[in-house]
Amino acid sequence: MRQICLLFLIIAGCSASLEGERTIQDDLGRIVEVPHSIERVVPLAPNITELLFASGAGSKVVGVSAYDDFPPAVDSLPRYSVIPMDFEAIVALDVDLVFASEQVNNPKDADTFAAVGIPVYFVAVNTLEDLTRAMRDLGELLGTSGAAHKRATQLEDSLAQLAALTTNLPGKPDVLFLVEMATLYAFGQGSYIHDIIDIAGGHSITKTQSIRFPILTDEFVLVSDPDVIVGSFGSGFEKSQLLTHHPAWDILPAIVSDQVFGLDPAILRPGPRLVAGSWELARVLHPEAVTNP
Amino acid sequence: MNRWTTALLALALFSVVISVSMGREVSFTEALSVLWHHVTFGYGATPDPIADRIVWQLRLPRAVLALIVGGGLGIIGAAMQTLVRNPLAEPYILGISSGATAGASLFYLGFLPPLISKALSMPIAAFAGGLCAILIVYSVAGGRGHLSVTRLLLAGVAVASLMGALASFITLSSPDPDKLRSVLFWLLGSLHLATWNALIWPAIAVSIGLVILLVLARPLDGMLTGDESAHSLGVPVESVKRILIVLASLVTGSIVAASGAIGFVGLIVPHAVRSFTGVTHRRVLPASFIAGAIFLLWADVAARALLPGAQLPVGIVTALCGVPFFLILLRQNRHGFG
Repeated sequence: MRQICLLFLIIAGCSASLEGERTIQDDLGRIVEVPHSIERVVPLAPNITELLFASGAGSKVVGVSAYDDFPPAVDSLPRYSVIPMDFEAIVALDVDLVFASEQVNNPKDADTFAAVGIPVYFVAVNTLEDLTRAMRDLGELLGTSGAAHKRATQLEDSLAQLAALTTNLPGKPDVLFLVEMATLYAFGQGSYIHDIIDIAGGHSITKTQSIRFPILTDEFVLVSDPDVIVGSFGSGFEKSQLLTHHPAWDILPAIVSDQVFGLDPAILRPGPRLVAGSWELARVLHPEAVTNP
Repeated sequence: MNRWTTALLALALFSVVISVSMGREVSFTEALSVLWHHVTFGYGATPDPIADRIVWQLRLPRAVLALIVGGGLGIIGAAMQTLVRNPLAEPYILGISSGATAGASLFYLGFLPPLISKALSMPIAAFAGGLCAILIVYSVAGGRGHLSVTRLLLAGVAVASLMGALASFITLSSPDPDKLRSVLFWLLGSLHLATWNALIWPAIAVSIGLVILLVLARPLDGMLTGDESAHSLGVPVESVKRILIVLASLVTGSIVAASGAIGFVGLIVPHAVRSFTGVTHRRVLPASFIAGAIFLLWADVAARALLPGAQLPVGIVTALCGVPFFLILLRQNRHGFG
């Protein structure tokens, strides 16, 4: 009985502390109730971690997912599984707010978090503009708007500089961006990938695919006739691997003129390093025009 | 060759031509001219290189793989239904396909080193996985030279769950999260990885399966009457059962490695065929082969056509159109079994 009383007191204490709340809207338009002062947060995807650190809120991050690898500060933080979601680990970290990625996390996970009284804020980065907008939003929410604004402006300046280099280039190559080599996972309508290809001076051939994450057919690729094939295959990638999986592609301009490149997947995730990724892609597409960031 | 088999064979050939000619990217007549160019060894105008590759290097190997996989699943389904004398049986019932999937994912996700060549390692891993599953099932169901069909089915269902869990575990604990997506697509059953080179092993395995089953057609007929009466007819029942089991894991393993686990073909096709041919294996086996081949070919045409430019795993289509068809058939035809 004493324990039950004690438990009741703890619960009562909790609800008392919930009073200083405010209501905000996340990127999915969900209404989220958060405490006035947010001190302990966790991200549920690596790009969210990077966004939080870039927004100056790194010191409030108290844990990261098993997939996180950047910035180096994450190495000393506790880890938890996000697929499948380890709710207990998050609860044990005593967090004020969870940041989820609209691309990665299951919206239903938010219901479970709600049941244990932890609010979830979904971040959606579907364009390059979303990137810096999300950083500013996070900074404002977490009380680090000065740092967030400064970093966002730096990134925007860097992008503007890149755009100035690529806008007036004469030929814009048709670019095929692939996520996977054997099964042709790609990005369809409404993805930030088309923005970075655009700003890097190319034209993405999957921009108008009606499915968000289509699996392309070999026929589509042959008929689209891409000048360049870029994939998040990592740097150890070789052209011959692509031909082993897709022997019929031997006549594609990209293959014939050796314009097949593997980029580091980490700089292509929708986080602040996407700007570095855009520059890297621009160097690959226009080595003569784009030199240093 | 009876008239049903002949008719099915003609339909199969017609289906290949249609399936290879259908699609947005190359016009029907252009596709036909590419086919004509190759079939006549270069007669007529040289086709456009892109159309040539689409028809000859992408669509045709894919259509042929559909025939091989569909046909293979059809005959193994028919043989398994005879083996357990139960219309519920199919290549998957004995846990073979789950075992093959577990073996193949173990290799694909980098937990096993490539043995000989990459092209051959995956079928070997799948065959080993399938055989491993069936050996467990067999040792549970067997004992003192007699194979209990009831225990075989029950152990098969249990081992299928075990292997399925193992495959999921392997997939989720993969060190390479990017490969997860590919595995998930392949697990649903898809023909999108078809190339001429990838056809060799499944073609050999399915041909071996077809030839051996046709040789065994008469003993299989005997087995439909029950173990004891088959024995009195002079059928070496236990040996035939063992051959069927190894053959099923060989064929299913090679099919799973090439196209993932495509369900329902092995279950539906032999039933549909029996209502036309009767239960004699000399007729059921060739007809199941051709009907399975045609069914999967058309299912793949649908899978290609439903999402333009992108694709669906064909396993989804076989379930979507196969199951309602099967239910209608069940309702209308009260044909006998065994």
